[in-house]
Amino acid sequence: MLGATRCLTMKAIYERYHIEVKDAPSEIKLPSKFLVKRYNNCSDAQECTQACIYEVHKTHEDGKITEPVDDLCRGCYRCVLTCPKNAISIENNPEFEKLGNSYFTPDRIETINFEAETGRVPVSGTGYKGPFAGKGFDSIWFDFSEIVRPTRDGIHGREYISTSVDLGRKLPHLKFDESGKLLSDSPKTIEIPIPMILDPPLNSTARRSIQLASAKAAARLNTFSIVNAKEYSDDLAPYRLNLIPRINSTEIEDFEDLIKASRIVEVDFKDSEIDDHLKRIKEENPSVLVSLRFPYDENSCERAEALTRMGGDIVHFYVDDESVEQDPDIIKNAIRSVHSHLVDINIRDEATLISSGGIAEAAHVPKSIILGADAVSVGLAYQIALGCKACYGDKHAADCPMELKDTEIELATQRIVNLMGSWRDQLLEVLGGMGLREVRRQRGEIGRAMFYEDLEAKVFGDRE
Amino acid sequence: MQEQLLFHTPEVEPAPSKYPNRIEEYEIILDRSRCTECGICAEICPEYIGSASIEYEAFKKPDGHLRIVNPKSSCVGLGCQRCIIGCPTSALSVKNSQYLALGDSRWTPDLILSTLEQAETGRPSNRYEYRIGNSQGGFDRIRFSFELDKEELDGDKLFDQRQLDTSIVLNKRDDGRPKIEIPIPIYGGDMSFGSVSLNVMLARAEAAEAWNTFTSTGEGGYPDKLIRFKEHIITQVATGHFGVNAETIKRARIVVLKYAQGAKPGLGGHLLADKVTPDVAKIREVIPNVSLFSPFPFHNVYSVEDHYRHVQLMKDINPKALVSVKVSTPTDVDMVAIGSYYAGANILQIDGGCGGTGAAPDIAKKNIAMPIEYAIPIVHNYLVNEGVRDEITIMASGGIRTAFDVAKAIALGADGAVIGTAELVALGCKRCENCERGRGCPSGIATTDPALMLLINPEWAAQRIINLYCSWKGQWNYILAQLDLENIRELRPSNEVKFKNGRFSHLLHLDHLR
Repeated sequence: MLGATRCLTMKAIYERYHIEVKDAPSEIKLPSKFLVKRYNNCSDAQECTQACIYEVHKTHEDGKITEPVDDLCRGCYRCVLTCPKNAISIENNPEFEKLGNSYFTPDRIETINFEAETGRVPVSGTGYKGPFAGKGFDSIWFDFSEIVRPTRDGIHGREYISTSVDLGRKLPHLKFDESGKLLSDSPKTIEIPIPMILDPPLNSTARRSIQLASAKAAARLNTFSIVNAKEYSDDLAPYRLNLIPRINSTEIEDFEDLIKASRIVEVDFKDSEIDDHLKRIKEENPSVLVSLRFPYDENSCERAEALTRMGGDIVHFYVDDESVEQDPDIIKNAIRSVHSHLVDINIRDEATLISSGGIAEAAHVPKSIILGADAVSVGLAYQIALGCKACYGDKHAADCPMELKDTEIELATQRIVNLMGSWRDQLLEVLGGMGLREVRRQRGEIGRAMFYEDLEAKVFGDRE
Repeated sequence: MQEQLLFHTPEVEPAPSKYPNRIEEYEIILDRSRCTECGICAEICPEYIGSASIEYEAFKKPDGHLRIVNPKSSCVGLGCQRCIIGCPTSALSVKNSQYLALGDSRWTPDLILSTLEQAETGRPSNRYEYRIGNSQGGFDRIRFSFELDKEELDGDKLFDQRQLDTSIVLNKRDDGRPKIEIPIPIYGGDMSFGSVSLNVMLARAEAAEAWNTFTSTGEGGYPDKLIRFKEHIITQVATGHFGVNAETIKRARIVVLKYAQGAKPGLGGHLLADKVTPDVAKIREVIPNVSLFSPFPFHNVYSVEDHYRHVQLMKDINPKALVSVKVSTPTDVDMVAIGSYYAGANILQIDGGCGGTGAAPDIAKKNIAMPIEYAIPIVHNYLVNEGVRDEITIMASGGIRTAFDVAKAIALGADGAVIGTAELVALGCKRCENCERGRGCPSGIATTDPALMLLINPEWAAQRIINLYCSWKGQWNYILAQLDLENIRELRPSNEVKFKNGRFSHLLHLDHLR
């Protein structure tokens, strides 16, 4: 019925962006959080099978008790308390605790795995279990307003909340002639429906397969995946509209065809002749958007300013994962300082700001945006969804154990799609709770966040 | 005041765990291949807990080791180690892996075990930390000045039997409504029928009656079996209006308008389909097995004027009830507070971001709303400066776990606290996070499963909550005595809370001490 009406009326009917998530269980299981041990004094009374509601303890066909299934244990301790022989013990699994590193913690890896497997929003009971606050993104709380703000629409308006952002330059103002005719040429922008793109994979033997999965996922999500131009292969060609080739500034002439075939290209900013490089790329393909990528350091504010003034469409700075692990504050300060600088000199909207680094959970996307990024580039997190153990591939390229067979690429693609779908849903929760109808309005809205340092100083510090 | 004189502190009665085993901090592991059964360990153990396997259950682990388990173990662990050093064949070792797998940084293994112990004995523990957790901030870094001089853990010493005055008044307005007074500065938090079982609700109500304080129905109806406790029941009106009607509002002495919940402000309430059993559906007047959302926000309240109308509506329906307004802790929580004051609220409940929940997206639990430790002084100071602090009662909630947390909250500017999770931990909750779906809670607390809910016997459970508060009461007495205060109302600052060099009045913050 609805379909028929739609055909009759018009094609340009409102279409809601939707990410198709479906279960995508990986064959590689993470180590379980708990180890359930049953000691030899078990008298086979089987009271544990009654006590456990998660089927960790089960009765075998022959009537005897089976080995406990660690994966299913949630740590309720009921079997431990119930066993008439006190024969059961629940312990932390040291293998689980070894996962990841101090930033990509075992819990974060487990969450990413859940999101990639199901595409769902993690929901649980009981209150927050973690530390009071932390560094970096962990020092930020969202501010969800209460009864005093009348503009909200709550979670039930979430179908209408937009998570789209624009990539590209915007004019600071429009110019008209005396007769009122528009003189300004609006620069081209590209709208992506989620404020997330995908960074190139880290070094590993599975690099090519991961890149392919990332490209396919980007196409399905209608966003972009960055690919090192040197690794551009025929496999990737079908997804070229969703790929951003990353080119070394000295090698621009080697990739003329790629520049012509792409909607966005990314250039690693390394030398002072970036101005010329930018012009050359635009000559090759006047409609291509150019993203200028550089590592964050103490000169980044000036650099972002220079690149914006020069005509860069996208300013993309990154902090590598090891630096974020050492000091999680670095990414928070990076985004905030670059954004604030561009705001101060009134050119913030003239380029799109993308930040990479430290994105380890769904909350980090809106936090980055509140700090001032237009969008983020997700790196390690989506690779963890594919089995990466966060041991920093670039350093350990030779012995990176990660594998991804060609037959698993479809699964890998779905896992990336699921992860992004889950993260988008969580972004919607945040936007809905804030009463924001679109993520563009969240950018740089520092008032939507509360900072640990500020509150600590305000309440427990010396005032005046 | 009349009521206060008639009130007698409830008696502690032992309410031991119904399980044969307990989670011990330390276990002695015996390597049988080395053990010669000489019995020396038994002789040198001060508590006589280990022996050479004959009288105690010793059994073989898969890797060939043996473990000694004594059901009444009081091994002091790494601090003693006499049996381990004394064993001539080095067959013994001490291990605490099971203990380590319990809890989290807010509710540490010690806090869970000490809360269980308080629920059983009515006394603070002398083995486990019962005052603070390990979250590295907030209450866990705040101390009373007397604590710095002597870091005493011994529960017997930190428990004062004297009956010092720990009562607070819930209505400070002269609005003709009753001046309800409760003998302890806490009442029970909002937990709906559906999120927890009827037995748990009954137990909480019975404990509230014994302590002459309150407990809340949450938003999910007012089961008939609770009517006999109606003098001690707060009923909640939230956005879904599940099971809310004029009759239940008229029955309550306090009505709480829930605008937001600290664990998930801005997101409304959530009861997943698995827990909407026919019984739950009936009382909520909905269809079984369908997920229930309490939307956010109240769609009739978009301004402070609307808020005033809303509070007045409740007051009109029940002319004798106090109205409590429950909000979370956004940046402008101080503005919210003053708005609620002018709207006529008797009680303002501020619910911090670390509060409990039956189900919430993880992104909300971790990231939204400021911790209650900040919100209390911010709200208190604002109301002091507006000159209305003494006309409204502030109840703090969301992450208040212990008697010391309550006292610190009061010393930071709250009048009292609302307790949820601690009561559930007293009943055996291990914070395994699985309250929201399936059959719900394996400990029979946050469940609607007819078999699981039988794990909680209401009388036994009530006694455990009573015992927990007996222990807390003793600790508050101790704190008041240490600070030389006559009553707990004096603990609440009358002026602005202002830290200098990490110190304010009776409090100090370890991270800011200079």
